[in-house]
Amino acid sequence: MLANVYTKSIRDRLGSGLIGAFALAATLLFGLWAYKDVDISFYYDLPPAVLELMGIDPDTFGVASMAYGAMYDFMGAFIVGGVAISIGSAAIAGEEQAGTFGLLLGNPLSRRNALVSKTASLFSIMVVVGVLLWASAILSAELIGVDTAGVHLGAISIALTLNGLLYGMLALAIGSWTGRRGRASGVAAGVMVLGYLGANLLPLIDQDVLAHIFPWYYYSSNSPLNNGLNGGDVAVLAGLSVLCLVTAWVGIQRRDLRDKGAEATLADRLRANPMTKKMVDRIAGSARVSNITVKSASEFQGLLTVTAGIVFYMGFFIPILYNFIPDDFVEIFATFPDALIAMIGGVDMSTPAGFVTGEIFSLTAPIAIIVLLASMGAGALAGEEESHTMGLLMSNPVSRGEIVVKKTLAMVALAVVFGFTTALGTWVGTLIGGQDEITLEGVLSISLLLTLFGLVFGGVSLAASAATGRRKVATWATTAVALVTWFMFSFLTLTDSAAGLANLSPFQWYLGNDPLVNGVSWVDAALLGGTFIALVAVSAPLFARRDLRG
Amino acid sequence: MTDPAILTEGLTKHYGEVQALVDLDLEVKMGEVFGFLGPNGAGKTTMIRSCLDLIHPTSGRATLVGLDSRTDSVAIRKHIGYLPSDLSMYGDLTGRDMITYFANLRGGVDRSFVDELSDRLQADLGKKIGDLSSGNRQKVGLILAFMSKPQLIIMDEPSTGLDPLVQREFQAMMREVAMDGRCVFLSSHTLSEVQRVADRVGIIRSGHLVDVESVDDLRSKAIRTVELHFDSPVDASVFESVEGIRDVMVADHHATMSFDGQMDALLRVATEHYTLLDVNTQEADLEEIFLEYYRQEGAAV
Repeated sequence: MLANVYTKSIRDRLGSGLIGAFALAATLLFGLWAYKDVDISFYYDLPPAVLELMGIDPDTFGVASMAYGAMYDFMGAFIVGGVAISIGSAAIAGEEQAGTFGLLLGNPLSRRNALVSKTASLFSIMVVVGVLLWASAILSAELIGVDTAGVHLGAISIALTLNGLLYGMLALAIGSWTGRRGRASGVAAGVMVLGYLGANLLPLIDQDVLAHIFPWYYYSSNSPLNNGLNGGDVAVLAGLSVLCLVTAWVGIQRRDLRDKGAEATLADRLRANPMTKKMVDRIAGSARVSNITVKSASEFQGLLTVTAGIVFYMGFFIPILYNFIPDDFVEIFATFPDALIAMIGGVDMSTPAGFVTGEIFSLTAPIAIIVLLASMGAGALAGEEESHTMGLLMSNPVSRGEIVVKKTLAMVALAVVFGFTTALGTWVGTLIGGQDEITLEGVLSISLLLTLFGLVFGGVSLAASAATGRRKVATWATTAVALVTWFMFSFLTLTDSAAGLANLSPFQWYLGNDPLVNGVSWVDAALLGGTFIALVAVSAPLFARRDLRG
Repeated sequence: MTDPAILTEGLTKHYGEVQALVDLDLEVKMGEVFGFLGPNGAGKTTMIRSCLDLIHPTSGRATLVGLDSRTDSVAIRKHIGYLPSDLSMYGDLTGRDMITYFANLRGGVDRSFVDELSDRLQADLGKKIGDLSSGNRQKVGLILAFMSKPQLIIMDEPSTGLDPLVQREFQAMMREVAMDGRCVFLSSHTLSEVQRVADRVGIIRSGHLVDVESVDDLRSKAIRTVELHFDSPVDASVFESVEGIRDVMVADHHATMSFDGQMDALLRVATEHYTLLDVNTQEADLEEIFLEYYRQEGAAV
């Protein structure tokens, strides 16, 4: 696998693609198993307009269509996109920031040859992921005994792959222009999230035309699972990827390559300016290195800004957006039977509170806070070990337990800021949107539970980080726990035999009692808080008992 | 009586089947610069990391400044400065931020002394660590190790990337620490540096401590290079019977050899067969001593 840049890149990155594909395959298998026992006869009683809105063809609709849709429309597409972004941002910018790109170009290899090899490896890995998804979709149906007639598994696999590839190529292009991995992955992920929101929300308020500017629209709007591949959509997604390649081709050739170095932040630029130096020095300089907690929190202020910013703006706009949803849509939502409401997270989308919970608090906010706090948990201990700063840190008079506690406090601080920002955005949006049904108590309640919920996953990541000293293990362990518990909450509740297991999921403790409407269930809050404290308590001895790596 | 700076008793560390450190007994005194020498993978860093409680010894114990490395690890860190090998720091902080951070964690750091160290090492503290060259990063690391005037400074390959002028200043700083009654533990394979600054040297090989000597003693009993000049061409086989002789090279009237035996025996053999015109002996430097230990290792393998 070390024959050339192409094979080495595949060797380095195939693992993340395989993990993503197998995680999805496992979720799909369990999802089909859960859906198999669900009585979906009520779908056939829904008005034709509702079925059309949901992209359902009554002639072909069945368990397979529902289950695959639930897996691939959101979670699957985000996982595949995330894998591609990770590979794309590492391709050029990652090598540059690690200081290995110069070493690579010390060989008879042009920049553009390197780019082509890296692009080919990204493409190849995505093809492997796509094939695995397709194979696992067929195999899962066979194993569980679900009829797949009428669903286009090949089409959805190709569409997923093309959609993911586009964001990977975008990350690669940005990395080729900037040499900054964080910027490449951040912007690409931002475009992906905004695309998802735009493509799904704008049609609700009769803004289909505007939705066309988001690439995600060309993945989801024609429902390749139910309708097969749309040639136009494929052409747009593939064309945009080619455009990204051309952009990268130009970018990588025309700029000075960076040596291994630090990224200049806005604070750095302000510090360099004599006018603002003194003030920013105080804020970004000595203040942020005053102790371990503040330093750890400051390392994640960028990610906090992005994740909390997304949720803040969603919190602000969604309650207002509700006013623009045509009445007939609201009426359609109101006709949903209880069984269907249970399937979309137990929220009644015909009410403002249900709409806000469904659009903000069911998936986007949980994912955002998990990304933030799981990154912190992984970075807190394993990050220091992998970057070989832990030894230096521990040359100071601080115990391992103290390090765990102080890093945990930083995590709690950021979780609180995230929760507060979410509550603020949602409450201001609620006031401006005039959604009297939503109370301040409800907003604070759901934000508090969201904060505690995020800390549980931060705690999982911290514990895995403490036990292994490996950031990747911590990240993937947290992802796996999040997927499994989301699955338990979303699907097991639909079954007769295993519905009780859903009560073990943090998603259930967070959303199960509809906190935006009913306020805080203190039992749920205690379960979330207690789990977090238990995970931190476990982390300290796990960290103390092993040899450190860096 | 002052506690030793470092005292290890049977310190052992295994990684599965690999014996990284075997039964290491070592005493390093206050008031000295102690050089710790060994080839790559000999166990130098493992020994240091065990003493600092970054890794846990399989058996044995270590005390630093009289405190147990396991039970008193936090208290120990108040009294030590540490510079790891392959120094990594927070790339997004400036050198000054980095020093501020560690000064905050440590407490009691005299900022004027930091400025003095910075001047002596010509360190650029205004730039981000990630933008510094390896030598300039190393200077920041040295300031971190020295700034609190600790009782014991442990450094693992500290001269990496330093230019000769800064190296000289750094060596002076180490000597000042020893003269101040404190201790420097210097792990290195820059032998010339150890030779210049160390009072005593420990040599580690394959996890075993094979020798601890003062630099002067080590030199005195070391192999010397001997050159003999005769009035006629000589035959190398003449010297084969002399104990302690090796690597004999003969060129016309000259014979050159490595020798760690009795000079009397050598001269007797030399004058028995030829007329000896001149003798020249050179004391071996640490480099040769070190290479000799390497040879022994090769032979053992």
